[in-house]
Amino acid sequence: MISEEQQDQAALYALGLLDADEDAAFESELRANAELRDLVRELRDAAGDVALTAPSLLPPASLKQRIMGEIALETKRVVPMLTQRASFGWIPWAIAAALAVFCGLLALDRVRLERQLTQIRAVDPLMQTTFYTLAPSAPAPSDAKATVAWQPGRQSGVIRISNLPAPQPGKDYQLWAVDAEHKDPISAGVVRVDKNGVAQIRFKPVEKAEHVKAFAISLEREGGVPKKEGPILLVGST
Amino acid sequence: MAETSTAQQMLDQEMIARIGRRDQSAFSALYDRLSGPLYSLAMKMLGDPAEAQDALQDVFLQIWSRAATYDPEQSSVFSWTVLLTRSRVIDRLRARGRRSRVVVASTEDTLTGAADASTVESAADTVEKNDEAVRVRDVLNNLPSEQREAIELAFFEHLSHHEIAARLGQPLGTVKARIRRGLLKLRQRLKNL
Repeated sequence: MISEEQQDQAALYALGLLDADEDAAFESELRANAELRDLVRELRDAAGDVALTAPSLLPPASLKQRIMGEIALETKRVVPMLTQRASFGWIPWAIAAALAVFCGLLALDRVRLERQLTQIRAVDPLMQTTFYTLAPSAPAPSDAKATVAWQPGRQSGVIRISNLPAPQPGKDYQLWAVDAEHKDPISAGVVRVDKNGVAQIRFKPVEKAEHVKAFAISLEREGGVPKKEGPILLVGST
Repeated sequence: MAETSTAQQMLDQEMIARIGRRDQSAFSALYDRLSGPLYSLAMKMLGDPAEAQDALQDVFLQIWSRAATYDPEQSSVFSWTVLLTRSRVIDRLRARGRRSRVVVASTEDTLTGAADASTVESAADTVEKNDEAVRVRDVLNNLPSEQREAIELAFFEHLSHHEIAARLGQPLGTVKARIRRGLLKLRQRLKNL
């Protein structure tokens, strides 16, 4: 239960109106109160939407060029810095090796899925398949990943997940299809990983999804929910 | 919420994740999606095209460098970028010490904003975005006027609750309650859109 005073503070916090001391005190309260955190997130999003009431303008096109130029320059500056620092000369090689291993693992995943699909294609040669690579979003471990092979004609697919630890008790991972024709993501069911954080599951969305732009996995209440509520852990398009 | 459907939020999160991995094409796509509303906000608060463009540049460079720290549990991508924009704009207002000159337009003045070096969006380009904006504006306009006024003063002028109380000649507790009630109603009504 959130008190009226907490709601007052939450509204002021969402609008950035608390002073430094009040801010620190409220943040410590937030850390201990999940319900209050949810309220703050919703109030912050509502406050964010107030920006849409400003008269509609577009910046000049030259601004985008200026900004893209800045980030391209920054990218160029970072690369030589890494190569010039002799004591850290191993870093690019370590990154390259890690990328090579990562790519190898992804390639293995893909080969495995393609082998499965070859078998399925033998049964239905007209079938078309699209692959989606799902990358981790903030709350998920950085090495978590998933690949989806989606068959729109059959409205079914296969997902392979790795490095995603089992959720805490009372929670489940749920797969969603983000379809251009639907306002909300379509549930494709609960997915359960084994003790090694791996799952390979066939799925079928609960509604027809003919224009799937992306797939995502969120953390939800045990047994799944009809409409996404929890944070996104993995998301990706083709 | 109104600005973005859940599906759009997922795509925004994916773009931010890609930007965190230094993907310039994702950055370019996010700029195309958000630069209009964020620039409009900066213009409304600063009232000066050159300053609004500088603020927007700061914001997008910040998005580029801080994308990996974005936390979806704290806000949507859109709200996160709005917060970054307000923060940059407020820094500029403080620096030039002319907050009192900020003009808060009424919520009915859409598309009648300052004519300047900026481009007023063409109707064809912005049907979808304006549609969302119209719905948010309707919701905001349907709040009791005293609640709407308190939220607008806090949001666009960044007046503290103490300053709003002084400006309106109302007790602090009344102002806090107006902000709370208004924002809670806004949240509920935007959820139902």
